[in-house]
Amino acid sequence: MKILSIAWVNLRRVTRDRTGVFFLVALPLMLVFIIGASFGGATTPLLGVVGEAGALRTEPSVRVKDFPDEAALRAAVEHGEVSAGLVRTSADTPRMLVRADRTGQQLRMLVTTTLTREANRSAAGDFVASHTGLDRATALSVVDSVRVEPVEVRTSTTGEALFPQDFSGFDLGAANQLVLFTFLNALTTSAALVESRALGVTRRMLATPTPARVVVAGEALGRVAIALLQGLIVLIGSALLFGVRWGDPLGAAALLGAFALVSGGAGLLVGSLCRTQQQSTGAGILLGLSLAAFGGCMVPIEFFSPALHTVAFTTPHGWAADGFAALTRRGGDLLTVMPHLGVLLGFAVVLFVLGAWRLRRAVTA
Amino acid sequence: MSVLSCSGLSRRFGDVQAVDDVSFSIAEGETYGLLGPNGAGKTTTISMITGVLEPDAGEVVVAGQPMSTSAIAAKRLVGYVPQELALYPDLTGRENLRFFASLYGAARARVDHVLDVVGLADRAGDLAREYSGGMKRRLNVAIGLLHEPRLLVLDEPTAGVDPQSRNQIMDNVRALAAEGMAILYTTHYMEEAERLCDRVGVIDSGRLIAEGTRRELVEQLGERDRISLLLDGDLAHAATMLGGIRDVKSVAVHGHGLELVVDDARECLPVVLSAVTSNGVVVRSVEVNEPNLETVFLHLTGKALRE
Repeated sequence: MKILSIAWVNLRRVTRDRTGVFFLVALPLMLVFIIGASFGGATTPLLGVVGEAGALRTEPSVRVKDFPDEAALRAAVEHGEVSAGLVRTSADTPRMLVRADRTGQQLRMLVTTTLTREANRSAAGDFVASHTGLDRATALSVVDSVRVEPVEVRTSTTGEALFPQDFSGFDLGAANQLVLFTFLNALTTSAALVESRALGVTRRMLATPTPARVVVAGEALGRVAIALLQGLIVLIGSALLFGVRWGDPLGAAALLGAFALVSGGAGLLVGSLCRTQQQSTGAGILLGLSLAAFGGCMVPIEFFSPALHTVAFTTPHGWAADGFAALTRRGGDLLTVMPHLGVLLGFAVVLFVLGAWRLRRAVTA
Repeated sequence: MSVLSCSGLSRRFGDVQAVDDVSFSIAEGETYGLLGPNGAGKTTTISMITGVLEPDAGEVVVAGQPMSTSAIAAKRLVGYVPQELALYPDLTGRENLRFFASLYGAARARVDHVLDVVGLADRAGDLAREYSGGMKRRLNVAIGLLHEPRLLVLDEPTAGVDPQSRNQIMDNVRALAAEGMAILYTTHYMEEAERLCDRVGVIDSGRLIAEGTRRELVEQLGERDRISLLLDGDLAHAATMLGGIRDVKSVAVHGHGLELVVDDARECLPVVLSAVTSNGVVVRSVEVNEPNLETVFLHLTGKALRE
């Protein structure tokens, strides 16, 4: 009960601080959005059209927005308001305006295919009308009624795709932001632990009928609770706001729990080692960002060189990020991430033992 | 009956003997002042009494329970009000009290009670950081009262507070002592010690160098009360007559006045004035000088209390 009281006070203090709430809630979700959008997000691309869009209006994989003239369309493409532009007037050959990015190239293929199909249909209709004497509308309906079975093309998969076909930019960003912010905020909020000691509150707790081990355990649980809260905010927030898929729920919950323990342990150690709040905040930012970078939270591990890939797996971030990748990109489940959980719990035990030992020394010396 | 008994308390930090063989006791309803200059060993002594620090030697017993860092039963009997404002500024007054109530195992109803006692009931929902210095001090005291302790340890509870809050804290202390609580009080304000404390102990360089009531300490040092009289009339006759009064130890003539050394000026003054005026001498002015704790402290330690 006393352990819970101490942990609850830690949680309460973090949520009382408006700046803390910004870093806990707003910033991680903003970054999930920004990074997700940068990697293509999960939205249907928007095609700007001057003239007749034709069959493109019924294409499910693109949305169409009409523009009055080419100048307006060119400005919209250049400013990123639309993913690409199509100028299609009766006088000229259709022309596309695209930026040098993946979405532009994909839309170019889609427009070419759709317009070709539309031209073929029109030509076939004309042919049927001229040979049968049917009017053009009836001839086109005859063409539409002809069902052509698609040609089966056998495909052999070799090598692995970096990301699954339906994997969105939000899916990619969310897991990494969860790992980054869970650890980072557990470390920076450990300044509260330093403040408790500086204010004499920890010493006062020891004058109450509360054993030192309970005080230390309560502070440790408080660190874990803050880390867990941070992880849940990113996990649930990104799922609700951006439709992020986290894979097997049991596996995701176990990974989050294990990484919250690692983060809580690290927060306890930093909070017990530092003498001032400035020290703990500085150390928290330095460790939080550098471990996140080496652990593949800023650039996906898949893009790492072999040497850096090895370095990534010396950090808890690397194991957590890879665990989430296994769940979200490789279709893994709880059993798949068991090795990740084992390593993360190992990190947690070491950090908690060191942090508890150091904190006990700091408050009872 | 002693609520607190310290015997032979000693504690060393490296080469520094912070507390050296300190012994004293406090009875039920008694207020004991522990006075000493900065670095004298007061806070170390208090840390051992409250079970925050383990003594190298000696023993602390609170209402029959031996105190140590792991003595849960003894710690239930002690309320501790540290010198620093040991509370969370980002929690409200009530939240701070509820938190410590949970650590002391005190009933939630006690939270409202102590808020009333220290006069913070109407500001209980405000963040502690928004309190004035005096209100923070009162909240600091309230935390120590949550579990109705037998012994209340107050380490400079009025440092840096406004007169209103100081008076309120002192009134609280008097009321608690009247209810039977034993109180250990340290302060830098000598007038507080004189007004509140039944007995004082003077600690310097880790040793308790004197102990007793104000009068006992004054007598130990050979200091006496003095009465200075400015008179019109036959000074020589008056001096001879006053010298015959039992409690008057000596009489000296200084210009138009007399200076008397007496045992207890307050008891002696009516007798002296009556004797002088009945012999036709006119009293122009009277000045009474009682050696106070400041005098005692200066004499014992060679420095003022606030140094």
